[in-house]
Amino acid sequence: MTAKKIDTNNITLTIDGKNCQGSKGDTILTIARANDIYIPTMCYLTKVEPIASCRMCVVNVEGVDGMILSCQEKAVDGAVVTTSNDAIDKQRQSIMKLYDVNHPLECGVCDKSGECDLQNKTMEFDVDQQSFTTRDQHRPVQNWGFISYDPALCIMCEKCVHVCTQIVGDDVLAISAGGYNSTIINTKQDEQCSNCGECMSVCPVGALVSTDFKYSSNAWELEKIPASCSHCSATCQMSYEIKDTAIGNRQKKIYRVTNNYEFSSLCGAGRFGFDYANESVGKDSEAFTRAVEAVKKAESINFTATITNEEAMILQSIKQKYQTKLICNEARGYQKFLEAFCSMTGKSLYSGNLKNLSTSRGIIVFGTRINDDNPMVKYHITMASRRERARVAYMHPIEDASIQSIVTQFIKYEVGSEEGVAALLAHTLLDSQKPTKAVQAYLDDLDIGNLSAESNIGEEELDALLHSFDKKRGFTLVVGADIYTHPKAENIAKLLGLIEAYSDFEVLLVPPATNALGVALLCDLDDDAQGYSVGYNAKANFVLSALGDGDLDMPALNQQEGSFTSLDKRVVPTNAGLSYGGYILNDIANALGIHTINTIDYTVKLPIEKGYQSIEFDDLPDYYNSIGEEHRGYLLKQSRYKKDGKLDEVSTLPTYDGSVVYHCNTNNQFSTFTNSCEQLQTEALLRGSAQFASITKLQDGAKIKFELDGVLYERVFMIDTSMKGTVAINPSFDMGLSSSTVSSYRFSQPKLETMDS
Amino acid sequence: MSLEEFKNRNVGEQSYKMLDLKHTPKSSMGKFGQVVERTVKGELFVGLWVTLREMGNALFKDNMHTIKYPLEKLPISPRYRAIHDMLRLLESGHYRCIGCGLCEKICISDCIKMDTRYDENQRKEVSEYTINFGRCIFCGYCAEVCPELAIVHGGRYETASEQRASFSLFEDMLTPIDALKQQKEYDGFGAVSPNADDNIKQTPLAY
Ligand code: SF4
Ligand code: SF4
Ligand code: SF4
Ligand code: SF4
Ligand code: SF4
Ligand code: FES
Repeated sequence: MTAKKIDTNNITLTIDGKNCQGSKGDTILTIARANDIYIPTMCYLTKVEPIASCRMCVVNVEGVDGMILSCQEKAVDGAVVTTSNDAIDKQRQSIMKLYDVNHPLECGVCDKSGECDLQNKTMEFDVDQQSFTTRDQHRPVQNWGFISYDPALCIMCEKCVHVCTQIVGDDVLAISAGGYNSTIINTKQDEQCSNCGECMSVCPVGALVSTDFKYSSNAWELEKIPASCSHCSATCQMSYEIKDTAIGNRQKKIYRVTNNYEFSSLCGAGRFGFDYANESVGKDSEAFTRAVEAVKKAESINFTATITNEEAMILQSIKQKYQTKLICNEARGYQKFLEAFCSMTGKSLYSGNLKNLSTSRGIIVFGTRINDDNPMVKYHITMASRRERARVAYMHPIEDASIQSIVTQFIKYEVGSEEGVAALLAHTLLDSQKPTKAVQAYLDDLDIGNLSAESNIGEEELDALLHSFDKKRGFTLVVGADIYTHPKAENIAKLLGLIEAYSDFEVLLVPPATNALGVALLCDLDDDAQGYSVGYNAKANFVLSALGDGDLDMPALNQQEGSFTSLDKRVVPTNAGLSYGGYILNDIANALGIHTINTIDYTVKLPIEKGYQSIEFDDLPDYYNSIGEEHRGYLLKQSRYKKDGKLDEVSTLPTYDGSVVYHCNTNNQFSTFTNSCEQLQTEALLRGSAQFASITKLQDGAKIKFELDGVLYERVFMIDTSMKGTVAINPSFDMGLSSSTVSSYRFSQPKLETMDS
Repeated sequence: MSLEEFKNRNVGEQSYKMLDLKHTPKSSMGKFGQVVERTVKGELFVGLWVTLREMGNALFKDNMHTIKYPLEKLPISPRYRAIHDMLRLLESGHYRCIGCGLCEKICISDCIKMDTRYDENQRKEVSEYTINFGRCIFCGYCAEVCPELAIVHGGRYETASEQRASFSLFEDMLTPIDALKQQKEYDGFGAVSPNADDNIKQTPLAY
């Protein structure tokens, strides 16, 4: 049946005399690109729907009058296409002439020079003189925070507007039409957008540029180092662009981050948070000897999941040699969750991924403030919402204004009631499915009325949810970090495992930190620390730190090569943007007799039984092909898992009355590393609604302190008018080494003490 | 030239013109006669007179041929490519360089380096600019590519230095602001010397 399906989907057309294969629904341009045939475009951007504003992509199709826009025209089987002849070239040349009218002759200073589409195509189509002109306008440069916009350079290709609405979902940019006076306008000038820089990255000319980078270097002077973003588990593709710091300082510096914007995206943290390297570190051999001794005698090693797979392997080797306990709060909850989840599904990994998420028609987001926890997941939900008109149900105790435009149904539940919510979800989604008898019996036994009352989700809300998914195909359930640390996480995992196993839903378990999935798969983590401890970017008796405040310095992730295991279950390589002069974890391992020359020698040894492959680091591919298929590293292999999970009864749901604090970092902040980046600097505030202020009797701007997981927070309280309810949001990105200590359920009720100011 | 002729290595007999010299005396008498003749003819004083005349010119008429380098220097052809000058705009006095980086890119000895930044007036500012004259081969590409006629070759040809690397900074090459009026436009590589007319002599063919 599948073979036949492929047959009917396959089409063949002739482009410039070459026989080209494609599938039904592909545009002529896509098929041409897949077959290495060049068709010039100005406004086409693969990752959004065709914009069709430039008409550069015109082609002739035999038997069709006039010219056809290849970027939006679906190919027909057997068509004969000509991509270039005198008439077409002439038309393209006149388009370029129009683009060039009154374009300022400022390539000499323009940041885009050398990689500018307008520059390139003006040359390509031989526009060497301008035969007409129009009245010039005074259109001053506008500074929009991270980005500045020069309307004089803008060619109105509309790419920026389309990424902002179709990918980011912020709907900040709009077009103000008016012939030659048309410009792009920022509709959120004063509120600020999420500062992701996506618009700037797709701008084919120098109209949108980074305010920080502006005029600091020509594009061709920068060396590109391919890497993966280290701030969250999406580990997006990007390149560090480096050059000497200054004439008098030959130390390399990262000037900016760029990415393969045609096919992939970055959030603001990835794009603007690159200057967190641990710099000017030398080899302090005394500290090193002490570190080796410390690791030798340590009973536990505390670390964060912001490390590479290879480092996780080194830590695991240390554990094997010295029986040291490995403590990683970020990944431990996730590891247990994943194990419980898999014990119900019978497979070693969850099945959701970003690509399928972006084409889903029905999406449920559960237990995560997704825009702050993982922007890339939010981008993919946006794509589904804008392109597939997906129904998006957002289930969380706190409403999130920043995703209002893509959420079709907000289902608010009581803090702490996640187990009940999971049971209700399983009950609802498995309604018309056929799970095993035991499961069916379990579901039938659930006291739905009670659960619904305790979690505060109306049965009619669930009915509406189910109803909205009627007659749709492609479903994803996005699960996030609130759940992994929930006291009843294991049973929730099993309930969600039911959904994966017996419904049409693919579940995406968003890892709570950069390499939480990698650490969960590679390390045997322990629950409780004991005795003398060594910390790797975490609090302990002896601290190895890439933040420059420990007992021995370590390289930051932009100074290391290695690989991450991403939320897409992909092993992606990253390279060192900057060099590092001090000791690294592998040196300590070597001194302890765990010999390997380079850290990346561990890449090939990643355990096959966990789904990894034995591929040398240097052989990991890292590119997108001409039609945007991702070839970065490799995908983990899914294998069988013992299907022995037993569901527990849903216990009485806990209640959190009064004011609650939710632990969550804010836009573009993920960790101490993002916080040390110059452009991302923000103040860490406790933000709450007016209602929260009134029940806690806190004034706007009040200075307070409270303790969570043994960490003392001193915060300024701010009333956020976009928020509702009794839950305030407390970030931890400014807490340095202590931020690794955060280990308990994300909602808590600490005693808020006012400090005298 | 035919191949035949070309291959003829006999240098003695092609188209050499022989000078019409008198025969060298062979007898002792003849030799003695030649000496006497040369002695009384005073040929020697002809030469001495030339020397004396030029000495007089130099001392009293201020017409000396010796150049007292380094106190004095010969004027140099405008085509000559010596140490670079950075020119200013005559109207505003602002330096002409816009920081486009083309000179840095084109330089075949990779000896130009520059830093630029976004300045307070939202312009691109050249914050630092150096040329390593230990590497520069004075090819002139930088001056050729400059879209602003900002970098040009000047006449400072003395590049001896104590170190192999000798750098010039932007300020060293920039026209001093008080000398803006004296700033000369660079005529370019095909230019003739300003005193070209004076230097023209009759071609040897006319003798
Ligand atoms: S946008 Fe392109 S063409 Fe326009 S000034 Fe900049 S580099 Fe030149
Ligand atoms: S700002 Fe750039 S991306 Fe946006 S319309 Fe103008 S040229 Fe296109
Ligand atoms: S922080 Fe996450 S979403 Fe943002 S660029 Fe980095 S990996 Fe991608
Ligand atoms: S003269 Fe030639 S070698 Fe010297 S700086 Fe200019 S381009 Fe470079
Ligand atoms: S080429 Fe001219 S304008 Fe450009 S950087 Fe060099 S000196 Fe300045
Ligand atoms: S690429 Fe087809 S219209 Fe612009």
